[in-house]
Amino acid sequence: MEPDVSIETSSTIRIAVIPIGSIHLHLFRKYTSMLSNHHTIPLSSITSFYTEHQKSPFSQQPWDSGSLRFKFIVGGSPLSPWEDFQSSRKVHAVIGICHCPSSPDLDAVVEEFGGLCKGYSSAVVKRCFAFAPGDTQLADGNSQGNNLVLFPPADQRTQEIHMQTMMQDIAASLLMEFEKWVLQAESGGTILKTPLDSQASLSSEEVIKAKKRRLGRAQKTIGDYCLLAGSPVDANAHYSTALELARLTGDYFWYAGALEGGVCALLMDKAVQKDPVIEEEVKYRYNSVIVHYRKSFTQDNAQRVSPLSFELEATLKLARFLCRRELAKEVAELLTAAADGAKSLIDASDRLILYVEIARLYGTLGYHRKAAFFSRQVAQLYLQQENSLAAISAMQVLALTTKAYRVQSRASIPKHAISNDTGPSVADGGKMHHHLVVSLFESQWSTLQMVVLKEILLSAVRAGDPLAAWSAAARLLRSYYPLITPSGQNGLASALNNAAERLPSGTHCADPALPFVRLHSFPLHPSQMDIIKRSPGREDWWAGSAPSGPFIYTPFSKGDSVDNSKQELVWVVGEPVQVLVELANPCGFDLLVNSIYLSVHSGNFDAFPISVTLPPNSSKVISLSGIPTEVGPVNIPGCLVHCFGVITEHLFKDVENLLLGAAQGLVISDPFRCCGSGKLKTTIVPNITVVPSLPLLVSHIVGGDGAVILYEGEIRDLWISVANAGTVPVEQAHISLSGKNQDSVISIGYEALKSALPLKPGAEVTIPVTLKAWQLGLMDLDNIASKSTSGNAIRPMKDASSPMLMIHYAGPADNHEELPESVSVMPPGRRLVTPLNVCVFQGLSFVKARLLSMEIPAHVGEISDSAHNNSADNTTDPSKHTDRLVKIDPYRGSWGLRFLELELSNPTDVVFEVGVSVQLENGTIEDNTSEFDYPKTRIDRDYTARVLIPLEHFKLPVLDGSFLVTNSQSNGNGGKTVNFSEKNKKAELNASIKNLISKIKVRWVSGRNSSGELHIKDATQAALQTSVMDVLLPDPLTFSFRLVKDQVGEVDKKHSSNGSGIEGNYFPSKGPVLAHDMTPMEVLVRNNTKDSITISLSITCRDVAGENCTEGSNSAVLWSGALSGMKVDVPPLEEIKHSFCLYFLVPGEYTLLAAAVIDDPNEILRARARSSSPDEPVFCRGPPYHVRVNGTL
Amino acid sequence: MASTACFMIISKNDIPIYEAEVGTAPKKEEAAHQHQFILHAALDIVQDLAWTTSAMFLKAIDRFNDLVVSVYVTAAVHTRLMLLHDSRNDDGIKSFFQEVHELYIKASFTLLTVFVIILLNPLYLPGSRVTSSHFDTKVRALARRSE
Repeated sequence: MEPDVSIETSSTIRIAVIPIGSIHLHLFRKYTSMLSNHHTIPLSSITSFYTEHQKSPFSQQPWDSGSLRFKFIVGGSPLSPWEDFQSSRKVHAVIGICHCPSSPDLDAVVEEFGGLCKGYSSAVVKRCFAFAPGDTQLADGNSQGNNLVLFPPADQRTQEIHMQTMMQDIAASLLMEFEKWVLQAESGGTILKTPLDSQASLSSEEVIKAKKRRLGRAQKTIGDYCLLAGSPVDANAHYSTALELARLTGDYFWYAGALEGGVCALLMDKAVQKDPVIEEEVKYRYNSVIVHYRKSFTQDNAQRVSPLSFELEATLKLARFLCRRELAKEVAELLTAAADGAKSLIDASDRLILYVEIARLYGTLGYHRKAAFFSRQVAQLYLQQENSLAAISAMQVLALTTKAYRVQSRASIPKHAISNDTGPSVADGGKMHHHLVVSLFESQWSTLQMVVLKEILLSAVRAGDPLAAWSAAARLLRSYYPLITPSGQNGLASALNNAAERLPSGTHCADPALPFVRLHSFPLHPSQMDIIKRSPGREDWWAGSAPSGPFIYTPFSKGDSVDNSKQELVWVVGEPVQVLVELANPCGFDLLVNSIYLSVHSGNFDAFPISVTLPPNSSKVISLSGIPTEVGPVNIPGCLVHCFGVITEHLFKDVENLLLGAAQGLVISDPFRCCGSGKLKTTIVPNITVVPSLPLLVSHIVGGDGAVILYEGEIRDLWISVANAGTVPVEQAHISLSGKNQDSVISIGYEALKSALPLKPGAEVTIPVTLKAWQLGLMDLDNIASKSTSGNAIRPMKDASSPMLMIHYAGPADNHEELPESVSVMPPGRRLVTPLNVCVFQGLSFVKARLLSMEIPAHVGEISDSAHNNSADNTTDPSKHTDRLVKIDPYRGSWGLRFLELELSNPTDVVFEVGVSVQLENGTIEDNTSEFDYPKTRIDRDYTARVLIPLEHFKLPVLDGSFLVTNSQSNGNGGKTVNFSEKNKKAELNASIKNLISKIKVRWVSGRNSSGELHIKDATQAALQTSVMDVLLPDPLTFSFRLVKDQVGEVDKKHSSNGSGIEGNYFPSKGPVLAHDMTPMEVLVRNNTKDSITISLSITCRDVAGENCTEGSNSAVLWSGALSGMKVDVPPLEEIKHSFCLYFLVPGEYTLLAAAVIDDPNEILRARARSSSPDEPVFCRGPPYHVRVNGTL
Repeated sequence: MASTACFMIISKNDIPIYEAEVGTAPKKEEAAHQHQFILHAALDIVQDLAWTTSAMFLKAIDRFNDLVVSVYVTAAVHTRLMLLHDSRNDDGIKSFFQEVHELYIKASFTLLTVFVIILLNPLYLPGSRVTSSHFDTKVRALARRSE
């Protein structure tokens, strides 16, 4: 069988083209390619070379439209035994190609050519083309006769014209030779034989038969020559005769041959092939051809020779003629029939040719899978030959099938196709539609793919092509590792290594092997290096430009930018960056990645390679780093990996698609999941831009960056040292706070930073910060508790709860002499986040806070001058000072002395000393340190102690209605206002409590350098909630008793005009009260309200047993004056005095009590007294006063 | 069925979702691969043929050597049930084919029922591999019954 047969094959003249002398392959190719322009020589062009020696047998030759067709058989071909049967199989001419400079001796050339021509017995025209001859050779060559044609060096065009002329000459010569042959054949005497004719015993019968047949065969052969000579009409005439004769003699083989020639003649004559009538005719005739070839099959010589190959050739010729999409079904049937013949073919190379042709035709038809199937059959036939040349062929043929089997090497896919693949996904922002993903994995027929790749690997190894072997093994391993046993995987790994050994180091391969590399994440800049876009023209340029909180997504920034699909990332020239990638080795061997680094196509990035070893079935997240070198965008499509001795590029997109496919169930396995790595949401490669150098502040806390350990409420100063580690000065800086517990930062030395600007590279500035440790929440405490019970060291959380100091800073606004484009764009600023790592330990803790009220009976006596007027006595000595603060004046009594008792426990390991100070409201402005310190209370470790905080100083001097009036007024109104006013009241109440609490400070000291303040707000608030009115509001009436020695001072008594004093300039007796003596006393009643109050005052005296001494039959105390039922009017904010005398009969302790029933009390009073009904009398009672009565001596 | 047979289900994306060597001949891996290659190549023919006929059962649409490809194209999801079988039979090809045809249609319909059940399985993702062992046993049982 012959390759590339078609119906027209019968009409082409074969010319062998052979190299003569020593000639370089590429020169030989170059010269032969010049021939390829001359496949068809029009008859009209050869008339000048043609001389009609005799009457031409080709009487119908179309001189004006016909042509001769050449087929150049480069390298020559062996003789075919079927030359007699089909004249087109003969080599009619030989062209030698010689390169003169490399074969100087032209005689030798001519001789060699002559020798080679002897191999082509049928060749009638022989020419040797000698290219590029030297001068001497030119002179010499002209004497060499007609066979040697010299092509003197000349320009391309001249050479082409020369070549054309020569070819026309050859065509004319051939034509004349054909005429000669036909004339000779017509005169008889030519014996035409085929291998089919039995050569053994020729019986007489067969001899006669053969003689009869001879004529028909001669006619058929003449017809063949007519076709070669380009005269279809003549050919047809001869074929008709031949058909008649062959049919008569039953020479089916030659009949079929003549029929075939006839079809060729028909097509040559009617140049229109697409005419359906002609097509039908061709189909009909060729079917007949096939039938007759089949008929000519004889059993007796079937072992030796068979006409099958002609039948198959005829089938292929018809198939090629019909090969169009519309006729696919017919063609496929023909080709299937042809393929059926393969197993009956005796010669293996015939089968090869058959499969090649079938594959080609299927390919033309668009049946790529069919084509691939037969190509693979071809490759298998090649592989059976067990030699390296056949292996190379097999490899090449298999490479053709890879597209149909979807196992192409990336190298064979044109670049633009790849970029098209990535196109839609980029536009989609990385989201691929389902059908797109599916289309990527279409026709993934793993069984076939593996077989094909294995065969490619085998053939490549055999052919000695290490790169192809590497590529095939890489594809096999990467795509089908789940289907390969561990030992098979090992085998592939060693195949990769073996192939790499034969490759020069640094070889690139387009197909990645292992590991699988996917993008894990782009770590954001560490918070110390955050880059913030500067909004030009704003003082606070950082505001709104970037998420300033811990959240990447903020709902408000979402709407701002149009293109949110891609994250923006900014890198700075010269500052190293990291990209996290995840590697997976799903195979059963240790994978050594010699080096892996980011593949950057934009060329402005220096990537640092690292080396990784991946154990079997493992995945690893590694960080790949590099340094941006130039301003501009950076594009990172993947990684370059040097593994198994070859450098490959692993694109993130491929793995992404693979994982998508795995998620859809289209791919066998997800390499990352089978390595135990979790599902990762696909990371989109952000748009990365590199900006010019920026300043870089680094901070550390003076004294160590470790967490500052503070007890709750502890106050500590910190110094933060900030240095510019960049190459650009810092010109603007602004400090702010973020994170939790911001209020724990009491002060920041902003000025220190401000004054240091601009901060030159390398310069440093220290910023003081004052911290106050916050109080641990309940949860924190629980955590601590659970941690301590589990035996771990107590490690309070420093993570999320610490506040962060943020410094927004920026370099110069217009960046010196940069590229003009960057002038318009303001270089971004930066943000330095310094977490103030504070570890708060549980310090003193509250157990309980409660309000204590007590009444200490006072002695009736004189009133110290300054008992009440605190503001007047700041100069008194400290001891007295303290006494007064405690506010227990034994001679004055105390109305409603109240303490806030804080019970504190100390769960820590250190001793605390607690001091209470109260800030006084009535301190004057210049005297704002009017605080009172109580003695310190020491609380040992693991002990509980109580601290008392007197609340006396908070009493308002006047019982004002502001708290109460609203309440009582609202009583008469509708419910709604009640609610409102109650709310109002509550708010006011809370405010006043807050106000109250804020004045109390509980400070503690522990050790030498820990000091702080307790957070008592919550505790005290709860304690005070109910009784705040009692604390804050004075009683409407206050009572006190005193002894009056004589009435001298009374005249001098004057009322204090300032309203605050109860003081009077009288001279109270200092002596003891004696029994049996008239003791003049007076009760002082002060009205603390703004309205005058009418009261009915009564005084009682009780003895130690509590018996009323002034009433009853045997009273121990006699009295004069009025003791009960005295109606008195007390003017607002003033004091009245009621005098009486007591006569004690028995010495001892007596208690005097003053009480008053307020007549017609107003709302304020009623509210204060918490009386429920308006009719209830409002009763006021003073504190008890003790009177010690001494006996008379 | 036949001594050599390979049954496959090909999804509409040309991905094989089920394959079974159901012949009685001893199984060889090489041969099984070859069977799949033949079926894969036959997809070209099926692809063209499926549009030219309304029939769902396409008998012997392709062959290679002695192996014949018959296909059942499902209408709804364009999934193809493909059977590769050898045509060599002692009783003569024709009678064998009639028998196989009948059985195959029957089998195909039953198979189709099974297939639909698979498709209706809410956990089954169309186009992904059929891994149901129930389906597998059913196919093999049907193949044995039609021997």
